[in-house]
Order: sequence, then structure tokens, then C-alpha cells
Amino acid sequence: MKNKEELGNRMDKENPNKKPKIKRNSKKVRKIKENLTAYSFIAPNFIGFAIFTLGPILFAVVLSLYQWDGSNPMKFVGFDNYLKMWNDVRVHAAFWNTIIYAVGTVPLTLVTSIGIAILLNQKIKGRNIFRTVSFFPYVASLVAVAAVWNMIFSPVNGPVNEVLRLIGVTNPPKWAADSDWAMFTVILFSVWKQMGYYMVIFLAGLQGISAELYEAAELDGANKWKQFINVTLPQLKPVTFFVLMILTINSFKVYDIIYMITQGGPGTSTLVLVYEIYNTGFMNWDLGYSSAISMLLFAVVLIVTLIQFKGEKNFANE
Amino acid sequence: MSKSIARLTKLISVLFFAVIVLGACSGTGDDDNVSGSNSDDTGETTEDTNSDDGGETTLTWALWDKDATVYYEPLVEAFEADHPNIKIELLDLGSTDYQTVLGTQLSGGDSSIDIVTVKDIPGYASLINRNQLEPLSELASDIDLDQYSGTVEQITVDGEYYALPFRSDFYVMYYNKDLFDAAGVDYPTNNLTFDEYDQIIREVSEKGTEATGSPVYGGHYHVWRSQVQMYGLLDGQNTLVTDDYSFLEPIYETVLAQQNDGVVQDFATLNISSLHYSAAFYQNDVASLLMGTWFIPTLATAIEEGESEDFNWGMVTMPLTEGAEEGTSTGTITTLGISSNSENKDEAWKFIEFVTSEEGSQIIADTGTMPAIQSDEIIDIIATSPGFPDDEQSKEALSVTTTYLELPLDENAAQVETILNATHDSIMTESMPVSDALEDASNQVGALLE
Repeated sequence: MKNKEELGNRMDKENPNKKPKIKRNSKKVRKIKENLTAYSFIAPNFIGFAIFTLGPILFAVVLSLYQWDGSNPMKFVGFDNYLKMWNDVRVHAAFWNTIIYAVGTVPLTLVTSIGIAILLNQKIKGRNIFRTVSFFPYVASLVAVAAVWNMIFSPVNGPVNEVLRLIGVTNPPKWAADSDWAMFTVILFSVWKQMGYYMVIFLAGLQGISAELYEAAELDGANKWKQFINVTLPQLKPVTFFVLMILTINSFKVYDIIYMITQGGPGTSTLVLVYEIYNTGFMNWDLGYSSAISMLLFAVVLIVTLIQFKGEKNFANE
Repeated sequence: MSKSIARLTKLISVLFFAVIVLGACSGTGDDDNVSGSNSDDTGETTEDTNSDDGGETTLTWALWDKDATVYYEPLVEAFEADHPNIKIELLDLGSTDYQTVLGTQLSGGDSSIDIVTVKDIPGYASLINRNQLEPLSELASDIDLDQYSGTVEQITVDGEYYALPFRSDFYVMYYNKDLFDAAGVDYPTNNLTFDEYDQIIREVSEKGTEATGSPVYGGHYHVWRSQVQMYGLLDGQNTLVTDDYSFLEPIYETVLAQQNDGVVQDFATLNISSLHYSAAFYQNDVASLLMGTWFIPTLATAIEEGESEDFNWGMVTMPLTEGAEEGTSTGTITTLGISSNSENKDEAWKFIEFVTSEEGSQIIADTGTMPAIQSDEIIDIIATSPGFPDDEQSKEALSVTTTYLELPLDENAAQVETILNATHDSIMTESMPVSDALEDASNQVGALLE
């Protein structure tokens, strides 16, 4: 009340002549003022977004209809770039590899990170150490751990194959160097690298579950497994949905891991869409075609995300 | 309560505003200072030189590995001594993504780069496709192009060329004399045939392993596709931009057999471990290595400074496939061009003319590096550089009359390179049978050429 009066007084002083009008509109003016203040706070972020994200995205949409090498004048080619994709074996390989990577990474990461989160939510000795250890791969520099990973999985004298030979595997896989195993190796690496991050999210989720629910379940005679199925999992649904979304989107965007471990090889066995987008865009300077492939990636991610949102209804916390 | 909150909000807003304003002020303040002092400085110097000899120009030269490359400095010094009113500034764009970074920078219409070093043929092709290099044939009309061992012809398109080579490296076969001695096998000689080469490396591998008790590899293929594919070019009948790669099949079959018999190290392992070819050769268990002449000073220094195991080495010419003439090799050139955005094209040409001349070549050769002009005099300089082997064969191996480029110039060079790399990968990791992989490549490149 006091504030309002103050505000009114000040306005009166500032505009002594227009006193009655202001009073009538003061609510509207305040509303506008409030909105302006809010916008001004959003503005720095939004301007950045508009210049560095929204603008380029819209430009890429337009660019996908043109042929452009970044220097010569742009040439309109209609849907030629999209038609070209239809017959491009590298894009086909990249498309399927991306799907395989996503299908491999998402469930594996989800299961391992929930598993570790539940284990590390128990009251065990050295819990904090184990939590740190599982989070470590996520914080460690990708370049460094990828180099170590490549050494461990080195086909001839890597420790993994040495062990396999010791236990009697005569012809162990060549891992990242073998076109049949390369994608599996990359998936394994990415699960190991990322699970620590999602584990932390699940841990937070687990700690948010009220102990009363478990007590009630116990009173009803539910064993640990039944408690897990009927209490823990349903309570984790919102967290799981969030993780699932982020994981899926991230796995379609994969580039750095592939670059560090296989560079898309051997042959095209681990070539993914983003890698091919970079290749056509900045190695071959075919920016229009590169944008068209980006649109393909965009469409795939959009469809998958829409399906997931549809499924969210079943996922939401009851 | 609400009053104090309001006051606090006010205070924060004021502080926030003050920070922004002050930040902006100090920013512009700095800028002012810098540009102020700069313009003062340059103002004075230009005035001074104006009155003397018509103004000073600073040229920017885009290149890579500024600190690791020994001949940039002497070249610039010698040039600046002859042209006191032109200053050369080196712009290091890094080695790994050099062509990408350069391409991006020039696309923005950036006029700050005057002289462009072109790293490879795909890079050259994309610079030309995008009109980022000045044509040179008119400027270079009094330069004798024959002195570049036929390389300028290979980068000429529609009668025009856009860069001149200042380095021209070709492949030779380095061998480890100590390992050949230990195995009791005669040293290789110049102009071996590809089959003789296959026999020799198999023999030295087998006997060397027996004699030393540890594995000796007869040869070594670094992971580059060119290490194998370049043999297909030597007879001059084939090119690597084609819709039929079947001519590479016998070469790949031979190399795969060597790999399976343990005569050379496994491609997959080399690729995963990113083992550098020099490190492989330094370990003193690789008897021979096909590598470019750029490796001469590196190897000599590594042995001298103890980075490599100490052994005697020599070199002979690259083994020749059937139908290839003596004195033929494959190689790669490093060229200089003028950025079409440059505002100092005349001065830039003066520099390029100097670096690609006999005089520039001598300065490069003095550092032990192979320049583009390879006259008898320059071969002598290289052959007497410190650490160079003293046998006659090694010196003779430096005389090459024809150098085929690793990849011919074509507007699709970058795409072809990508396809050939993937093909090489598939074959060498035995993911695909040789003939299938080559047929795939033929179809893919064929589609590009249509």
C-alpha cells in the first residue's frame, strides 16, 4: 500500500498537468513497464540466441535449396540437394549409422546409469569415492580418455585383447579397427563416458523419493524387488523422461567421440550424420548440400522427440 | 521491509548499470588507446617512408607450423633485405585444419591475407573453384616453368595456373643399413622394380628376425592412402580421378599379402595407435620406409640428437612398377598464390617470385629441405647437408625427372580424396575384398564425374 502511494505521489510530481489521465491508465502503464523490464532482462540472452542460433538455422533452411561454396554467388537449385541425398551412399551409411548409434547408446546408458545410481544410493562404505569414480569419465577430457581407450583396445597389444587371448579367444576382435566392431566400440565408449553424468541426475531423483513410500510398501509386505518395481521406477518417471530426451538428442548429434576414436572409419562403418555434414560443408565446401543433410538430421530428431512427447503421457508421474 | 527490498533492487540496478557502462567505457578506452597509439606509430612511419621511397607495405603470409619450420625466417629476411619497403608478417593457421581455416577466413572477403600457402591439391582445387586465388600466368610470363619438373603443368587448369611451387617433395625409399647388414641381405639399389622390392623386404624381414631374435619388419606403410595408391601412378597410364580403379588391385593384393605375412606392421593397429611413421622408423626394427624427401632433415636431426635409435641409413629411388620409366616418382608440392582479396597484389607477387626462384630455392635447400627447383647445385646442397648418407646411391636417388602428384587436379578433388581414404581404410582393414572396395570407389567417383 505504502509503495503504491509513493509511486502515485512521484508520478503526480512528474506529471502535474496530466494527473487524472495517468490515474486512469496507471494500471496499463505499469503493466507495460513491467513487461518492458522483463523483456529487457531476457533481451541479452535472446539477442545472442537470435544472432548465433536462430539466424543461422533459418539461413541453413534457405541454403539447403541453393548451391553455394561460400564464395561464388549462390545458385538456386530447388530440391536438387534433397534428391542428391537420395542416391548418396555416404549419406545413407551416415543415416543408418546414426540410428544404430542412438539405438545402441540410449538404452545402454539409461540402464547402466540407473543401475549405478541405485547401487550408490545404498549406504555402503566408500560411497563417495565410488560416486566420484563413476562421475570421473564424464569430467575427464575427451581427447585424453579417447587416446587411452584406443590403447586399451589396441588390436595387437592392447590389454583387452591380451586378456581375451589368455582366456583362450584365439582371434579376438580388432575393435575400433574392424568395420564389424567399430560401432560397438564407439557405443561402449560413449556409454562409459556419459553414464556418470546421468547417474548424478538419477541419484538426485532417488533422493527425492520419500522414505514413507518405502515404509508403506514394506508394511504391505513388498520385498526389495517389488519395492523397486512399484515404488522406485514410477517415482523416477519424470527424471527418466528427461534423461531419455537429452540422451536421444545428444546421440543424434554425436561428432566428437567419433572424431576422436575412428574418424568415421574403417571405411564408412562409423560415419555419422554430423560428421558427414562437416565433411561436405567444410572439406568439400558444398554448403547447400551440407545444409540439406542438416535438415535431414533435424527431421529425424524432430520426429523422435515428438514420439517421445506423445509417450510422455504414459511416462508422467501418476 | 518492502522499502528496503525496493532500495536493494534499486542499488543492484544502479550497480548493474554502472558495471555495464564502465565496462563499455573501459573497453572503448582500451581500444582508443591501442588504435590511437597504433595509428600514431604507423602515421609517423608512413609519413617518413613516404618522403623517402613511396610508402611501406606489410604483407601477410598465411602458413602453418611457423615455429617448427626452419626456412620461413631466412626467406623473409633475405626478401626484406632486397625490398626495404615491404614487410612480411607470418600468420600461422595451424597444420591440421589449415585448408579449412584458410578457406573460412577467405570466404568472409578477408583482405588481411595477401600471400596464401597451398598445402595440397584438394585445397588448391577448392581455392580455385571459389575464385580465391589470382591467376598468375600473366605475371609469371618470363618465368621458365620447366624448372619445376613438370609440376606446374599438373596444376594448370584451362591454360591458367594460380600458384607456383616453392617446395616439391617426392617419395624415396629410406632403408636401415644396420638391419640389412644384420640380416645379411644386400642393400636395395636405385630403380628396383616393385616385385624386386617385394622380395627384398620379405627377405630382410625373415632373415633379420632370425638374426636379431626380435621381429624385423621389411617395410612400412604409413596409414595414408597415398602410401599404396601412388604406385598405381608411376607408369603414367592411370590417374586417381577416374571411374575405374581396377589398376590398383594387384598393388593392394601385394601389400595385403605383406601385411598378412607380418612383413609390415598391421594397418589397423597403426591407425588406432596413431603411430607416426618417423617413430616407427626410429625404433630400429623397420628395415625400409617409403617417405617423402621432407623426411631427410628430420631423420638426420633425430639421429644426431638421440631422438631416434642410432643406426646408419641410406636411400634409393621409389620402386618402379611395370612400364614406369627411370627417374619417375610421385610426390606433393607446396605452392604459393595471391589471395584475390589482397590489396597489395603487386608486392605479394614480388615475394612469390622471390621464394619460387632459384635464389629462394637455395635458401630453402640450405636448411636441408627440398625446394621446388632441383638443379644440380641444389641437389649438391641437400646431399652435403649434415647427416645425409655418404654413399653414391643416396645422392643419385635425389635426381628425379618426373613427379606425379598424389592426386591430380580436379574440381572434385576434395570429394575424391574422401572416397579414396574410405576405400583405403576398408581394404587395409580387410573390411571389404579389394575388388569390391575398388568397384565401390569407381562407382562413387564415376557419379561425381558425370
